[in-house]
Amino acid sequence: MRYVEEFRDAELGRALAGEIAAAVDPGRRLKLMEICGGHTHSIYKYSLDDLLPDNVELVHGPGCPVCVIPMGRVDDGIALAHTEGLIFTCFGDMLRVPGSEQTLLDAKAQGADVRVVYSPLDALRIARENPDREVVFFAIGFETTAPSTALTLRRAKAEGMTNFTCMCNHVTIVPPLRALLSSPDLRLDGFVGPGHVATVVGTRCFEFIPAEYGRPIVVSGFEPLDILQSILMLCRQLHEGRCEVENQYTRVVAADGNPLALAVMAEVFELRPHFEWRGLGSIAHSALGLSAAYREFDAERRFEVPGVSIADPRACECGEVLKGVIKPWECRVFGTACTPEHAIGTCMVSPEGACAAYYNYGRMRRPREAV
Amino acid sequence: MNEDAAPAQCAPGDQHCITCGDAASVMRVLELDGDTALCADVGDVAHRVAIDLVGAVAAGDELLVHAGVAIRGLGAPA
Repeated sequence: MRYVEEFRDAELGRALAGEIAAAVDPGRRLKLMEICGGHTHSIYKYSLDDLLPDNVELVHGPGCPVCVIPMGRVDDGIALAHTEGLIFTCFGDMLRVPGSEQTLLDAKAQGADVRVVYSPLDALRIARENPDREVVFFAIGFETTAPSTALTLRRAKAEGMTNFTCMCNHVTIVPPLRALLSSPDLRLDGFVGPGHVATVVGTRCFEFIPAEYGRPIVVSGFEPLDILQSILMLCRQLHEGRCEVENQYTRVVAADGNPLALAVMAEVFELRPHFEWRGLGSIAHSALGLSAAYREFDAERRFEVPGVSIADPRACECGEVLKGVIKPWECRVFGTACTPEHAIGTCMVSPEGACAAYYNYGRMRRPREAV
Repeated sequence: MNEDAAPAQCAPGDQHCITCGDAASVMRVLELDGDTALCADVGDVAHRVAIDLVGAVAAGDELLVHAGVAIRGLGAPA
């Protein structure tokens, strides 16, 4: 298969690291944020940060869809899962996300019919196979995942399904980036852009970052050499005084994204007026609900959900981690009260979460650093 | 070839949930069946993939797949 082994070549990786070291001004300290949790995972899986010069620091952004789910939405999902006779379907990482009292895994242990699916289309198949039971799909994810939910709902509508609904938690990437960029404590020099979100939405929607906020962004693939090359491209932009959107992931990402995916999203979804983000608070027009044409598939309309806003646990500093203000190991409960097995914060649940990535790949041994 | 190990895709060996993690996999099209393609991933595991969002696809083409849906056609390898 193309695009895998050739992008994991260790020798080329070391060569790129040398080019990065040569491209960075020695007297300048660079803080670069990788927006996507998939990048965070790759960076620590392949120890890419160990290849970087000391004055290039990577900061982990808010692009892990599990990490940004607020506790109240998790509680709503758990309440749905406990509905008599209902089959609740979700992606695997959602099972261990803590609600205010329990997780979906706890609900399953108590008898709720909670099933892990790989695709929303699997949830639709379950609904077809169980015509006498209600099936809910708990949808999460950025624009990479939203088309799969939209396509599933389009197929459900075409088939006239009456026992399938969706609790929609899809979020969009641009509003939280604007929120981050508008933050007074922002100290970032550039961004590694989310390659798979950009596969759907294109690169043009990131042009506001250099134009309005004066920061460069390089849309990146997810293999080790992709990420190193993107960091090199950022360093070169900064060294040369350029500030623009560049596309490292040209084998996949087009400037206009995927028009068919954008069309099905426009048909099925509409922007919510507001949505609560873990650690970032309420952000206007940052999430997707179902459009009027698809309201019959909205689980929040068909079933009673508590809809209560729950404050994040006080001990948890996920919000500061998501904003890149502190490193995961600087959170007071990191690796002690909060571990992947017993997570307090969402950043410790998903392997794409910055805390879990540090924990799983031994970063808790790293000395504390001033940020 | 193994047949469609779907749930395992959500938590493979290194506990990386490809669906939650915005990850996508390159797969090769084996057969077409209407709006679905039978595809092989890099480990030669077979998956049924929706191809509604990528236009024309032929056997032998490669696709970028996320959550059971192709989000980008990559054409045929040279």
